[in-house]
Amino acid sequence: MSLNLDTEDDFYLEENRFKQCCAEFIKHSQQIGDGWEWKSIKDFPDGYMSKTHFQMKNGNTPSIFKDSTKESDEQTLTHVEEALDDSQVAGICATSEVIRYEYHVLYSSSYEVPVLYFRACFLDGRPLTLDEIWEGVHECYQARLLEGPWDTITQQEHPLLGQPFFVLHPCRTNEFMAPVLANSQRENRNINYITSWLSIVGPVVGLNLPLSYAKLVSEQNTKMD
Amino acid sequence: MAEVEEQLPLSPHDGGRGECGEELPDGGAAVGVAEPAPPSAGSPVTEEPAEDTKKKIDVLLKAVGDTPIMKTKKWTVERTRTIQGLVDFIKKFLKLLASEQLFIYVNQSFAPSPDQEVGTLYEVTLVLTVVLS
Repeated sequence: MSLNLDTEDDFYLEENRFKQCCAEFIKHSQQIGDGWEWKSIKDFPDGYMSKTHFQMKNGNTPSIFKDSTKESDEQTLTHVEEALDDSQVAGICATSEVIRYEYHVLYSSSYEVPVLYFRACFLDGRPLTLDEIWEGVHECYQARLLEGPWDTITQQEHPLLGQPFFVLHPCRTNEFMAPVLANSQRENRNINYITSWLSIVGPVVGLNLPLSYAKLVSEQNTKMD
Repeated sequence: MAEVEEQLPLSPHDGGRGECGEELPDGGAAVGVAEPAPPSAGSPVTEEPAEDTKKKIDVLLKAVGDTPIMKTKKWTVERTRTIQGLVDFIKKFLKLLASEQLFIYVNQSFAPSPDQEVGTLYEVTLVLTVVLS
């Protein structure tokens, strides 16, 4: 699937292309067991990309979940977490230290770019405060977040779920995406907008994409040559 | 994660390929390209003894767009150098302002996480993007 960039300076992401890029991204995620899936809302034409992962407060993966690498296991893990009651979960690991992160990629029609929504809670259900989430932000991004081409993290109502989520504001997304897209156009390379975008914004909020996604892009370009 | 040493963490070496797409588009964004070359490329490593070459990779920087042109284009980087370390070094080297952002991309499209070691990016292209805000 090729990007059809209409005007030279217009690198906004059109909604159908958003869905196509998400589909390609999810396909690769399934191949490597990275846990992303598409969620639709009943009676709504909209949908979003979603991933849940568990992490210790100090950044390590809890040992109970360490062996799992497949997407189906990811769903099982979520299932396990829901099936256990609080006392059982407390018996398995230090619950105050295990954090459940949830990331959603939605489309913003007003900005014509994807937007990253996320929330985090401890296994006992207590949501993390923004300060606690901030602690999980990689050091180099903390400085960058304060000065970068995106506004700070804010809390907003999820447009489809109606629940409070943290959001990386999209108003400057085009600013940092434009050079990447311009370069890909110049070099006649296909790129997946979602892969590029998420690789840039994800680490800012503790979401790292495996390097495998970069190779996916490379393979597509090799086929094109 | 590799620590930033007091001396220059990257070693320059001579004989860069000199491939630079030095376009200067309008607008405040710039893209540079860095390509790691395999150690067997044939270019002599001027400053390190031979047994260290397996621990280092060659990185070629291409200045594209508004990225300040680096006189030394070819660098030798330890495999264990992280992306963050590379970004910090280049920001200092290019004397970027605190408000200026530097992004590094692999295959010109994917930003590796800051803890990623440069040695694992061996076979791909690094792109440096300087976003002037």
